[in-house]
Amino acid sequence: MADAATRPLRIRSRATAELPRILCIAGFVIFVLVPLYWMVVTSIKPTSDYLALPPVWFPAEPTIVHYTAALFSYRGLDGLTNSIIIASASTVLSTVFGTLMAYSMARFNTGSGHLAFWVLSQRFLPPVATALPLFLMFRSWHLYDTHVGLIIVYTVMTLPLSVWMMYAYFRQLPRSLEDAALVDGLSRWQALWMVAVPLAAPGIVAAAVFVFVAVWTEFFFALVLTSRYAFTLPTVFRAFLGFQGAQYGEACALATTSLVPSIVLGILVQRHLVRGLTLGALRG
Amino acid sequence: MTQYIGSGGAAPALGRRQEAGLSAWAERYFRWLIALPALLLILALSVYPLLFSLWVNFVNYDFDIPGHDFVGLQNFVDVVSDPNARSALVVTAVLSVINVAIEFVLGLSLALAMAKTFRGRTLIMSILIVPLFISPVIVGQSWALFLERPFGPANYILGEILRHPVNISWLTESPWYYVAIIIADVWQWTPFMFVVLLAGLAAIPPNLYEAAELDALSTWATFFYITIPQLAPVILLAITFRLLDAVRLFDVIFMMTGGGPGTATYTVSFYLYQVGFQQFHLGVATAGSWIFLVLLSVVIWILVRRLLRAEKS
Repeated sequence: MADAATRPLRIRSRATAELPRILCIAGFVIFVLVPLYWMVVTSIKPTSDYLALPPVWFPAEPTIVHYTAALFSYRGLDGLTNSIIIASASTVLSTVFGTLMAYSMARFNTGSGHLAFWVLSQRFLPPVATALPLFLMFRSWHLYDTHVGLIIVYTVMTLPLSVWMMYAYFRQLPRSLEDAALVDGLSRWQALWMVAVPLAAPGIVAAAVFVFVAVWTEFFFALVLTSRYAFTLPTVFRAFLGFQGAQYGEACALATTSLVPSIVLGILVQRHLVRGLTLGALRG
Repeated sequence: MTQYIGSGGAAPALGRRQEAGLSAWAERYFRWLIALPALLLILALSVYPLLFSLWVNFVNYDFDIPGHDFVGLQNFVDVVSDPNARSALVVTAVLSVINVAIEFVLGLSLALAMAKTFRGRTLIMSILIVPLFISPVIVGQSWALFLERPFGPANYILGEILRHPVNISWLTESPWYYVAIIIADVWQWTPFMFVVLLAGLAAIPPNLYEAAELDALSTWATFFYITIPQLAPVILLAITFRLLDAVRLFDVIFMMTGGGPGTATYTVSFYLYQVGFQQFHLGVATAGSWIFLVLLSVVIWILVRRLLRAEKS
């Protein structure tokens, strides 16, 4: 009797608890996907579908003309090439130098915490504060609008990220293996390269991916420090400002091209996401 | 031998002492040698430019006027007396607080909703974090495309839901341009709050919830007396990180409104970009960026001190 009375009640209370949960998740998934889908679908839409009402969600005749136009007529391909060169080079530099400094701080307590916090504070510096003097310095050093100039700037910009991610990683790793290597007569350099680095490889890969994504998506320094030659992919979007001539398809094609690599990389290192977002302050 | 282990690299191992010279020296200063490249890079490209800009503050550095004469505080006077600068500061502060507040509430709800495991959770996680890996330039551009008429479907969708025609010019009509900017920012950064808070939720010891269940605490009481206090340090961390990025707001403004209509959506970064890199009053822009830096340092000092205190307790 009591069972029969309580059972439907309990089911209903669980259902009312579950419904907001499901609505919350579903609502946000839709919110995330709809503008992305609209962008991707616009990139393959024929021009005649642009202003159709109701909006065209599934173009009957998909086309790739916008991709070829965006890449070749709007110099998207040059931007893409520059982005690949600049992001790869600064990723290697930032990850190598960042890992080395992190190892020094984690194993030898170099700078006893002050150095670590000084590096962290660099992360919170607004880009506009360093961009103004860098612009003036780069013009007199002939680094303005060069690949090398932007690579150096991005290396420095991402060092707090790579240092702190690796600092947190090394502190988690036991040092006993490195100590054993030193007892066996290896030098500190050998202990680092032959023992610590292979052990920290997953962390190094994750740090490298976060650095790459940060550089790949950066806009402000590229806007200010380049013009006709070393411009990166995000700066190409200036061509579509105000959408004069209604280059919707071209803008969307370029955006789709640009976001695929960073999303794929990002999802691959999902496991390290919390560490990447909080610079190792939170383990996740 | 063991006494040398972990001694900070100052003492080389006994057997190696004979092979003096370069390798011994490298071994002795190992900890500094490996920290040096990163240290030098930061000093050369972050600290030195800031010191250089300290000098720019007090001289004429304007592409319209030749020479770099000492002008005293004129650059600061110019920027403080500019009404655009003041309104940019207000817009930045208000937009940052609104953005971070909305992102926090949505992120926390989403984290609570996603805390339990269920079928398809991994896939949904992958979808929810996608905005974090997209350039803010593209976020601004795709929301502009999605919202602005006549091309964007937003007005049509709203019209279908509300069952009467909607005709909003999202990027040029007050107050909708603020709403459009907030939507784009919330879209991109709610996942940040969500991911960080979810990690915080996962770290709460489950026996606290078991105790609450034994004491027959209601869902709300459990939330306010267990979840929120336990989560407090992570909340502070998430808000600190997010707020310090939110005040830089530039890319979305650049792509969506271009600071307009007029100067209505100028943020500090956008204002400084206009003054420095479009009008080339570099001295004035530098002075403005230093004022911004000092104001920001106060915020950082308050938040980070709280953060450290929360971590200790």
